[in-house]
Amino acid sequence: MQQWTDVFLTMPISPGWMQGLLFVTFGLHLLFVLLMLGTALLTLVFFLRDILRQPGEPQPWNEKAAHTHTGLKSLAVVLGVAPLLLMQVSHSNAFFTVTGFFSYAWLAVIPLLVAAFLLFDVFAHKMNVGAWPAFACGLLGVAALLTVPAVFTGALALMERQEAWADFAAHGVNAGTEWLTHWALRYLHVVGAALALGAAFHLFFSAKNNLEKTARLRRWLMGALAVQAVIGLALLATVLPQLSVPVLALIGFGALALGAAFWILRPEFPAADYRLLALLPIIFVSMLLARQLMQNQAMAPAQAEALAQRAERAKNLSPFSQKALDAFSVKLRTVYDNGDTIYDGACEPCHGASGRGDGAEAARLRIPAADLAAMRANRDYVYEMVRDGTPGTGMPYFRMYDRAKLESLLDTMCKRFSMFAATPPPARDIAPASLEVWTSACAKCHAANGGVSEVGRGMRPPPPDFRRGSVTHERALAIITGGYPGTGMQGYRNLPEAVRDDLAIISNSFRISPPQQ
Amino acid sequence: MNFPILHIPVVGDGMVIALDAVLHVCISHGLAIGLMTMIVIFQTLAWRGKGQFWASAARSLLGPLVVVTTSVGAVTGVGIWFLTGSLAPEGIGALIHLFFWPWFIEWFAFTAEVILLLCYYYLWNRLITEKPGVLAAIGWGYVAASVFSGILISGILGFMLTPQGWPWGRTFAEAYFNPTFVPQCFLRLGGGMAIGALLALAWTAWRFKAPAEQRGRVLRLCGLALLFSLPITAAASYIYFSRVPQTYLTHWKFAVATSYMTQLPDFLPAANTAAVLVLVLAGLAALARSPWASRLLCIPALLLSLCMVMEFERVREFIRGPYLVPGYMQANQIPLVEAQALAATGQPLLPRLHWINSSGTLPPARQAARALFAANCGVCHTESGINGIDQRLAGRSADGIDAMLGITERLAPYMTPFVGSEQERALLTEYLFQLSSDYARRAAPAAREK
Repeated sequence: MQQWTDVFLTMPISPGWMQGLLFVTFGLHLLFVLLMLGTALLTLVFFLRDILRQPGEPQPWNEKAAHTHTGLKSLAVVLGVAPLLLMQVSHSNAFFTVTGFFSYAWLAVIPLLVAAFLLFDVFAHKMNVGAWPAFACGLLGVAALLTVPAVFTGALALMERQEAWADFAAHGVNAGTEWLTHWALRYLHVVGAALALGAAFHLFFSAKNNLEKTARLRRWLMGALAVQAVIGLALLATVLPQLSVPVLALIGFGALALGAAFWILRPEFPAADYRLLALLPIIFVSMLLARQLMQNQAMAPAQAEALAQRAERAKNLSPFSQKALDAFSVKLRTVYDNGDTIYDGACEPCHGASGRGDGAEAARLRIPAADLAAMRANRDYVYEMVRDGTPGTGMPYFRMYDRAKLESLLDTMCKRFSMFAATPPPARDIAPASLEVWTSACAKCHAANGGVSEVGRGMRPPPPDFRRGSVTHERALAIITGGYPGTGMQGYRNLPEAVRDDLAIISNSFRISPPQQ
Repeated sequence: MNFPILHIPVVGDGMVIALDAVLHVCISHGLAIGLMTMIVIFQTLAWRGKGQFWASAARSLLGPLVVVTTSVGAVTGVGIWFLTGSLAPEGIGALIHLFFWPWFIEWFAFTAEVILLLCYYYLWNRLITEKPGVLAAIGWGYVAASVFSGILISGILGFMLTPQGWPWGRTFAEAYFNPTFVPQCFLRLGGGMAIGALLALAWTAWRFKAPAEQRGRVLRLCGLALLFSLPITAAASYIYFSRVPQTYLTHWKFAVATSYMTQLPDFLPAANTAAVLVLVLAGLAALARSPWASRLLCIPALLLSLCMVMEFERVREFIRGPYLVPGYMQANQIPLVEAQALAATGQPLLPRLHWINSSGTLPPARQAARALFAANCGVCHTESGINGIDQRLAGRSADGIDAMLGITERLAPYMTPFVGSEQERALLTEYLFQLSSDYARRAAPAAREK
């Protein structure tokens, strides 16, 4: 017998390679996210400053800088796919559990990003046409953009804290959420990094021959790095128990590079010192590596435990593998495109193979399934019943089958049970007393003409329309005598047998229709 | 079920995924492949000395294309990951483990595509006069990367409907090189090219400011591209659907027309024929260089092509019915083997759910019933809303609902079987009866007012 395997247990690459790829791809993604966010924030701030100081003046530098956003955001999005893919394999347990908890906030990232990108594109393309409307678009776009890292940092922070999952699932974020400070600082750290890298990018890329912008960007870079150092220290304090020697070494290395960057950025140094292009990546990579080490350390035990549980489940389920595959094979061969298959699949469980209403599921029904073999009805009447079901009973509607399939089903019912055959003419005349009973009792629901009265139309299920459908004399007599359980049709066994017999004849006398195919 | 179960109330999971996915398919196929190919053809013609108006047309289309594809197209593409990861984590998780490498390689193609598109866009002004050949090379590089990306994804999408021998053999080759891989590939590329040609045609007819002769030439090329793509798309569709098992395919009409229109036998074939006719007429109008006929026909043609994309994606997603991964996992993320084991042993489902939504103040039995609904039915049915179970079961008796729960997959073969113990079945029955009764109560006054 084939051993059943949970696909989650088949790892496409070794854990080491997985972590390596995750580091590289996430690093690239984060780099462009930070550049994009930094560009958005800085160009908006610079633009506001410039339109306040020089209203009505064209702003070629801001326009050029804002235009880079299109490229940066495109790369940020596309590069984000790989770490998303890798996380879903390497940390599937934490990833899917926490994104499930974040639910709507996680899903809101899609419309927020679309709105942010479109609004910022309007800002970038229209800033020299209408300054304030463009600024409004830019502001809204940046506001939408700033919400996204909040979701991501929150989700990552929670993924690393398995012990907090149950509380978060039950209560969400509340005043007692212990890791709230960590989340807030982590978010601010991302925004700070975006400002630092955004300022550095434009210092070297957009402001080469613009002394005024160069000076401003240097100040922003210096300020952002200083704020990063402070937030970083506070953030470190929230993860003290998780700090290991390699993590501390990496952070220390990054801090040294940060100190060197401060030295280079001091006011008397040249405008754009290219040594920064080496130092900033060192800070970025060392901090990111430290973060990933802590992340792995936090998530690995839960992932291993989840995989062990899956392996155990797979082992327990394995004996049922062949049976499941056999059932699947049968299902693949069963095509619901003909009346025979549809009847055997959908109708037989209640109405039975013989149509007598004695299928296996019929035992659960309070109102017995109709005895199809005893029915003699117009084809269109049965079609309507099959199509719409019968309210108040267990008979569902079958509009989920198209017209051709329902017609084929009707053909099957005709072939198997002669359901559309003509109703035999009355065997004899009926007694006036029986007609009196029909009028005074039966017609209250069935209507005097064999249709359905006002009272009957309000019943659930409503009585049948005798003008369009009938049952065999024996079946009618049985229903009149014993009633139809669960419906408004009570038994009339106290009436004389002759009267009941007459009533059966009467109920079958309204349908005057030729036999139909 | 190892992860929290999330379903979108009122609108339903399917509709939310469809809104995102259809938008993404239209942009990624129609714009990123189709329209961009037209732009590169236009620019190549300009480079080969066929007139600078070709470059002018290409540049006018390029800006909006870059904005839409990089803002909406890319994000809705990533959005599919977000949505499926939240709404069907077991399903998408299984697919990622199985198709890690095609997806990872596709990521390289996707990245190359974006980098080449950005180069094409940012370097246009510099290269269009000095080195138009280099610009065309970048453009064709982009087209190659986007086609490669489309090819890679087709194997995975094909697997989701036609895994063929994989449930038994479980090899990657069986899964990836499945019978609908190649036709789906041609279908998506052909369809994308047709939409792209149609978009270029519509823009030329309505917006291209150029002398009549030049506009006529652009229109003619758009018409040619459209008429060239349509037979490829049609042939690929035919082969694709001929390879889908009949057990799935037979439900295509219900997938598209839903309950009421399924009873109009000629509706869908007629609507599809009319749509194809309009597309062909739009192509012929453009081929004849007629601006007014092109203007008149391109709008319904665009709307109908959007409808056909929706129709195809709806059919593809719906007809595989009870399976998220045929032969492996039911649509509600319960593996087939687990459903089989629970049915055989009569074990309950609830203890196997790691996470149950306990928010609110529901009594324990109702909360359990709600979790059973979410685990069994919530993937397709909302409690109340689109495909609401309250409406679907309105008027049915409790015993009838109980009976139906036992035969869901026989009643409608695209439904999953109920998974759970007899006691859980009773709990769910009561819950469903309450929902449907509430619906019937709400609907009764409205019906009386009518």
